[in-house]
Amino acid sequence: MNIVVCVKQVVDTAAEKRLDPASFRLDRSGENVLNPYDEYAVEEAVRLKEKHGGEVTVLCLGPDTAAEAVRKALAMGADRAVLVTDPALAGSDTQGTAYALARALEQLEFDLVLLGLMSTDAQTGQVPAALSALLDLPLLSVLNRVEVEGALLRVHRQTDQGYVAYECPLPAVLSVAKGINEPRYPALKGIMGAKKKPLEVKDAAALGLDPSRMGAGGAKTRVLAVRVPEPRKPGVKVEDDGDGARKIADFLVQEKLL
Amino acid sequence: MSEKRGILVVGERKDGALAKVTLESLTQARALAAGLGGPVSVALAAEKTAPLLAQAARYGAERAYVAESPELAVFRPGPFADAALAAVRAADPAVVLFANTADQREVASRVATHLGVGLLGDATGIELREGRLVVSHPCFGGSLITEKEAVAVPALVTVRANIFARQEAPTEPQVVSLSVDFTPSGLLARVLEVVEENAGMVSLEEAQIIVSGGRGLGGPEHFRLIHELAEVLGAAVGASRAAVDAGWKPHQYQVGQTGKTVSPKLYIACGISGAIQHRAGMQTAHYVVAINKDPEAPIFSFADFGVVGDLHTIVPALTEEIRRRRAAA
Ligand SMILES: Cc1cc2nc3c(=O)[nH]c(=O)nc-3n(C[C@H](O)[C@H](O)[C@H](O)COP(=O)(O)OP(=O)(O)OC[C@H]3O[C@@H](n4cnc5c(N)ncnc54)[C@H](O)[C@@H]3O)c2cc1C
Ligand SMILES: Nc1ncnc2c1ncn2[C@@H]1O[C@H](COP(=O)(O)O)[C@@H](O)[C@H]1O
Repeated sequence: MNIVVCVKQVVDTAAEKRLDPASFRLDRSGENVLNPYDEYAVEEAVRLKEKHGGEVTVLCLGPDTAAEAVRKALAMGADRAVLVTDPALAGSDTQGTAYALARALEQLEFDLVLLGLMSTDAQTGQVPAALSALLDLPLLSVLNRVEVEGALLRVHRQTDQGYVAYECPLPAVLSVAKGINEPRYPALKGIMGAKKKPLEVKDAAALGLDPSRMGAGGAKTRVLAVRVPEPRKPGVKVEDDGDGARKIADFLVQEKLL
Repeated sequence: MSEKRGILVVGERKDGALAKVTLESLTQARALAAGLGGPVSVALAAEKTAPLLAQAARYGAERAYVAESPELAVFRPGPFADAALAAVRAADPAVVLFANTADQREVASRVATHLGVGLLGDATGIELREGRLVVSHPCFGGSLITEKEAVAVPALVTVRANIFARQEAPTEPQVVSLSVDFTPSGLLARVLEVVEENAGMVSLEEAQIIVSGGRGLGGPEHFRLIHELAEVLGAAVGASRAAVDAGWKPHQYQVGQTGKTVSPKLYIACGISGAIQHRAGMQTAHYVVAINKDPEAPIFSFADFGVVGDLHTIVPALTEEIRRRRAAA
C-alpha cells in the first residue's frame, strides 16, 4: 500500500514573531518546525507501512528551507520525498496550496493520502477538504483510528461525545487528530539514513501549474493588514490566606459573572 | 459589481438542534445585511429539518434552503458539502457564513473549491468597511491577527463560536426545498456506528464558562474538583495537554494549540502553568481566572484575577462559596 503524507513546515509557536510592517510578511528565519499535527500523520503512515508494506512518500510545498521538515519526516521512517518549491508559489492561499498538492499527487502512485488536521501557523484546517474535492476522493477526517483491511478502510472520527466509525474503499484522503498515536522521536540511525533518502524537488513548471491559480496573484483572499493584538494585561494577583475562594467569588460578582 | 445579494448562513447541527454559533451567525448576518443589502437566508441539511427550521425562523432567517435526505443523517464531508453547495447556488448570496467547527470547516473548504472562490477561516471579527467585507482571524498561536478580504464572490467565511451575540428576531421564512445531486465519491464513505462514550460532555467551543484542570491537579481522581465547580457554574470542563497526555482526560477535553480553541466569557485555569501553546487556545476568553501555587507561573501574566495557593483547598471552597451565595440570593 502506497501512502503519500502531506507535511508543512511552520514557525514554532514558541518562537518570537517578527513581522515586516510594510509587506505583512512574517520573518520566517526564526525557528521552523514540522507542523505538530503532521507528526501524527507521518507516524500513522509509517505504522501502516510497517503493517501492510508499500512505500511512504512525503509531499511538502514550501520554500527550499522546508527541506528540513521533510528530512524529519524521512527520519521518522518515510521512504522518499517530493518538495514543491517555486517563488511563484509564494503567497498561495489554502485553495492554491491544495491545487498545487493535487497536481503533485497526480504524478505519484498512492492508495491513501494522509494529512494533519490543521497547520499551527495559519490555523485554518482547509487543505485536506480542498484536496479531496480536487482529487474527487472521499474525505475522512479528525481521525483517531485508522485500519486497513484489504482495499477497505475502517476509521474513527473523533467527536465531542465519542466517535463515529466509517468504512470506505481505498483510495481516500484522511486527516488525523492528535491522540491517534504517539509520534516517535527519530533515532540517530533514522536521522543519518534520512540524508540518503531520495528528495525530489519540483517547481511549478514540472507540475504544469496554471499561474492564475497559484501564488499571491492566484489567491482568492487578500491580506489587508496584520496586527499584533492588544496584549492581555495581568490583573489582580492575591495570596491565598484561606480567603482565596471568597476573593474569586467577589471578583465574579463584581464583573457580573455570577 | 456582481448581482449576488444577501447573506446565507449554513446551519450547523448540535444534538438535533442548531448550534449556538449558527444562531450567532444569523444575528450577525442581520447586522451585515443592513449594510450589504439583500436577504438573510439559512441553509439546512438533515434527515428531517423541521426543528432546525423553527429555530432559524426565531433568529431572523427570511429564507430557508432545505435539503432532506437519509444521506444527511450523520455527518460526512462529501454529502454535506453537496447540500451546502446546492443552497449557495440557489440563494446566490454575496456572503456565506459557516461555523468554524471541525465539520463545517471541511464543508466550507469543499464548497470553496467547487466554486473556485476563497475561504476566510476562523473569523473573530466581520465588518463592513466602505462596503467591503473585512474578516479578522488570529494566527500563529494568536500572536498575530490578520485582516483579510475575499477577492471573488461569494465571500466564504467560517465563524468562531462565542464571538457574536445572539438575539431573537422572529420571521416566517420562505422555504425552498433543494434536491441535491450527491457526488458519488463522497457517498463511498459509509457510517458504521455513532458511539457516545463521553455522553453529557458540554461543548467547549460553545461554553460560556470553562473550568480547566492541569498537571497541578496531581492525578485523574482530582478532576472531580473541577467537575464539581463546573457543575455549580453550569460550565464545561477543559484540560491542559499535560493532563490529557497523562491520560487523566480524553483528547476531546484539551484546550490549546493542538486541542480546542475556545472563547468563553470566563475561563478558570486550575493548576495550569499557562504555556504559550495552552494560551493559544484560550486567550480570546473575556475573563481569565487562575489558581496556581507558583507566584511566577506565566498564567498570572495574563489572568484578570489570580490566586496564589493550593487548588486542592481553593477549588472546593470556591464551589461551596458559590453554592452558598446562590442559595442566599
Ligand atoms: C507542539 C506543542 C503543542 C502543544 N499544544 C498544547 C495544547 O494544545 N494545550 C496545552 O495545554 N499544552 C500544549 N502544549 C504543552 C505546553 O507547552 C505545556 O507543556 C502544557 O500546557 C503544560 O500543562 P500544565 O500547565 O497542566 O502543566 P505544568 O506546566 O506542569 O503546570 C502545572 C502547574 O500547576 C501548578 N500547581 C502544581 N500543584 C498545584 C497545586 N496543588 N495547586 C495549585 N497549583 C498547582 C504548578 O505551579 C504549575 O504552574 C504543547 C506543546 C507543544 C510542544
Ligand atoms: N504547504 C503545504 N505542504 C504540504 N502539506 C500541507 C501544506 N499546507 C497544508 N498542508 C497539509 O494540510 C494540513 C492542514 O493544513 P491547513 O489546512 O493549512 O491548516 C496540514 O496538516 C498538512 O498535512
